[in-house]
Amino acid sequence: MNTLMEAARAAAKLAEKYGADDSAIAVSRSRGVDIEWRDGKVERVQERTRRSLGASIYVDGRYSASSTNDLRPSALDAFIAEAVANTRLLEPDPHRGLPDPERYAGRAEVDLDLADPEWAKMDGAGRRALAERLEALARDGADDLPIVSVAASVGDNHGQSARIHSNGFEGEREGTSSGYSVAITVKDEDGRRPLGWAYSYRRHRADLDPPAQIAARARQKAAAQLGAGRVKTGRYRVVVENRAMPRLLGAFLAPLSGPALQQRRSLWEGKLGEQIASPVLTLHDDPHRPRGLSSALWDGDGFATHRRPIIEGGVLATYLIDQYYARKMAVEPTGGSTHGLDWAYGDRGLDALIADVDEGVLIDRFLGGNSNQTSGEFSFGCAGRMIRGGQLAEPVAEINLAGNLATLFTRLIEVGDDPDPNRSSRCPSAVFDGLQLGGA
Amino acid sequence: MDDGTTHMSRHAAEHGAQATRSGEDGLAWFGRFGVDRQMLRTAFDKALSRGADWAELFFEHRVSHHLGLEDGAVNRAYTAVALGVGVRVVKGDQTGYAYTEELTREAVADAAGIAAVVADGPARDGPTAFTATPLPDRYPVKQPWSSVGVAEKMPVLTRINEGVFARDPRVVKVQVGFADSQGAILVVDSTGRMSFDRQPMTRMTVSCTAENGGRRESNFHNLAGREGFEFFTDARVEHLADEVVARTAFLFEATPAPAGTFPVVLGAGSSGILLHEAIGHGMEADFNRKGISVYSDKLGEMIAPREVTIVDDGTQPHTRGAINVDDEGVEAQRTVLVEEGRLRTYMHDRISAKHYGVEPTGNGRRQSFRHPPVPRMRNTYMLPGPHDPEEIIRSVKKGVYAQTFTNGQVMIGAGDFTFYIKTGYLIEDGKLTRPIKDTNIIGNGPQVLADTDMVGDDFAFDEGGWTCGKDGQSVPVSLGMPTVRVKSITVGGVNG
Repeated sequence: MNTLMEAARAAAKLAEKYGADDSAIAVSRSRGVDIEWRDGKVERVQERTRRSLGASIYVDGRYSASSTNDLRPSALDAFIAEAVANTRLLEPDPHRGLPDPERYAGRAEVDLDLADPEWAKMDGAGRRALAERLEALARDGADDLPIVSVAASVGDNHGQSARIHSNGFEGEREGTSSGYSVAITVKDEDGRRPLGWAYSYRRHRADLDPPAQIAARARQKAAAQLGAGRVKTGRYRVVVENRAMPRLLGAFLAPLSGPALQQRRSLWEGKLGEQIASPVLTLHDDPHRPRGLSSALWDGDGFATHRRPIIEGGVLATYLIDQYYARKMAVEPTGGSTHGLDWAYGDRGLDALIADVDEGVLIDRFLGGNSNQTSGEFSFGCAGRMIRGGQLAEPVAEINLAGNLATLFTRLIEVGDDPDPNRSSRCPSAVFDGLQLGGA
Repeated sequence: MDDGTTHMSRHAAEHGAQATRSGEDGLAWFGRFGVDRQMLRTAFDKALSRGADWAELFFEHRVSHHLGLEDGAVNRAYTAVALGVGVRVVKGDQTGYAYTEELTREAVADAAGIAAVVADGPARDGPTAFTATPLPDRYPVKQPWSSVGVAEKMPVLTRINEGVFARDPRVVKVQVGFADSQGAILVVDSTGRMSFDRQPMTRMTVSCTAENGGRRESNFHNLAGREGFEFFTDARVEHLADEVVARTAFLFEATPAPAGTFPVVLGAGSSGILLHEAIGHGMEADFNRKGISVYSDKLGEMIAPREVTIVDDGTQPHTRGAINVDDEGVEAQRTVLVEEGRLRTYMHDRISAKHYGVEPTGNGRRQSFRHPPVPRMRNTYMLPGPHDPEEIIRSVKKGVYAQTFTNGQVMIGAGDFTFYIKTGYLIEDGKLTRPIKDTNIIGNGPQVLADTDMVGDDFAFDEGGWTCGKDGQSVPVSLGMPTVRVKSITVGGVNG
């Protein structure tokens, strides 16, 4: 780690030498290895070794940010010199500047345990063997499935970074991630070839789900798409599976950002402290979860992170405004990002949520669509299963879910007890009432 | 996670980066970073040390700039420099890939050794001589980005900002983003063939928010191409301001479309997103070679009415999807995918071309040296047909007219695809009536292609820039389309 911090300090010295008043330098390197396997053989082996140096330069009330991976000393010297010189040509911006160093204080004394010490123990042969086994598990007991192709991938990553601000911030990070996936293509009678997939992704390899579980889930997702029909256009009670939820949550939270608010592109303007969702919805920013996929002790501005409510009982508790946009808006900064979410989870699983639905639709995947974060309209493609009498019924596809973000989460009735551990948003499955679906 | 989908957006990050030289110049050009013949020989010895069929080195240098205006001031600049080489080793249809950002003989040879693990046979001799391939020049520029400074660019952003505010008193916020990049690539393969290309790219994106009574709306527009600074003429700058204001003001009059299944008329130009999503990706040969595309087994079959002819074309000058050579050293071409309704060919890279026993079509593309090439679209469009666009609209009793779009996505195997309509109209009794907005459309590719029953005579390329994502890689692409009618698609609106 020392060499990264030394490289950052050296670049900061160069910035100072060329006349920068302040600088923030970040240096990172990462290594990743992936194997992709398909139908009995290796399809692709990839190795990625990256490095990068990023420099935010503050000079004469002006600001720029530059990055390079050409770290030869002569090239880096010229790069920083040009960055400073070009910054001087811009118009000034009174709101730019490094944060008040007070904001760096109070960094939590917790071990986030983000780096798996066993990381380097997996080698090429091990990845290959696991990929081969994933395929075998996927095909095992799938005699009734019209399988066209089975693909598996296994990958591992390791990254380190060091960051230094000229007014006193220093931080170093190290993290790993490991994952694998299975994707099964089946051939439907009408010529469609739907794909069922599942994956597991964690900081530590030991926390990954058992391969047989992932293979079985992919198989079940492939089988559940055969013979897909259409839904009749109308309003439905809709259960959204945990792994599909980030699409809705992401659209809902995006207008909370500083740029959206300051540029008058947010339907949540003026809604702080107001009920914008059902009382069932409580969400915390949870940055210190050990082994969390987005866990961090400091954010992009160098602010120490803390657990904090985002939505409490459906009431909007905070915006997500970074240092720069807070100064522009003359408000206190609240941090421009979340670092892992924690929900007020329910006490029942997906099957129980489905069992309560007399007639409705399970959405287990989204496809495209978009939302208007200024006025709130959204329209997303999706697919899943009909629910009849509390049971999963026929597969349905080519559905559009449409409405307005202002009311979407007010229709939330219940959330499950099943956070998706593969994503930092840790979404549970959720039930919504009266959502508009477009179909046949 | 590969979930079997690809996606596309109009507002994605810029990448891409001038006139073409011969391969020999390329070696001289990259010589400043330490690249020489000995480096190439050493690397190929390693790459072929386990008996691969094919190996190539992809050297790349790219400098990208972004200049931003917000709240009236051009007060932020972002620069990125990327340099490296990717080594690909191919044995049959298996690929080994590694890259290095350190251009020393040792580091490049190490990367070649890592990529070679995919093969397991006796060593082969590498090339001893390297020969430059002459290429056409589809994007000559007068003012290359390396010669244009921040001070020259700033007034263009300021003018657009003032122009947008001056056009409509309801405008409250304007942002302008000016992106340019200049890239150089050198592809050297195990036959000793060298291809060198210099690739300019630029995009000017303007977004604005306006207030009308209690309502607020925002929208954006952009102009993009493989162009130099001379691209931003007074006329283009004025046009950009006109468009962003008109597209934002339109939204005040518009509401989401009704939900259900309707005939849809797609306006000329950016409706090419239909081709990109509904059929383009499904015709990329890698998906078909693996049997996982909805178009696997359809080669030679009628898949659309006779009015429909679709091409993927890397040769249209200055378009975002134009290339002189693809990223595995194959010269770009114009490829007819669907001819009068019949599926003629897939889009191939070297691996799939070998599999199918055909010549590669110049579709082997990659985001950067950090990625292996895969079959990708370039500039995908439908040729004009016999119908007057007015006649097409008149033919619809109740339906939707789609005018501008923001993004789309497709599931390659199932064939289901979506695209998001930002602005359009309802069609009632053959006339455009109520303005609509923010409505997703979902359909199944082969079905929608078969249902494309009227093709207009009013072809246009889309002037905005599109970025396509597949396999975790983004590449710049272009689109074009005449007005067409599709008998029936699911429209994701709201009823009552």
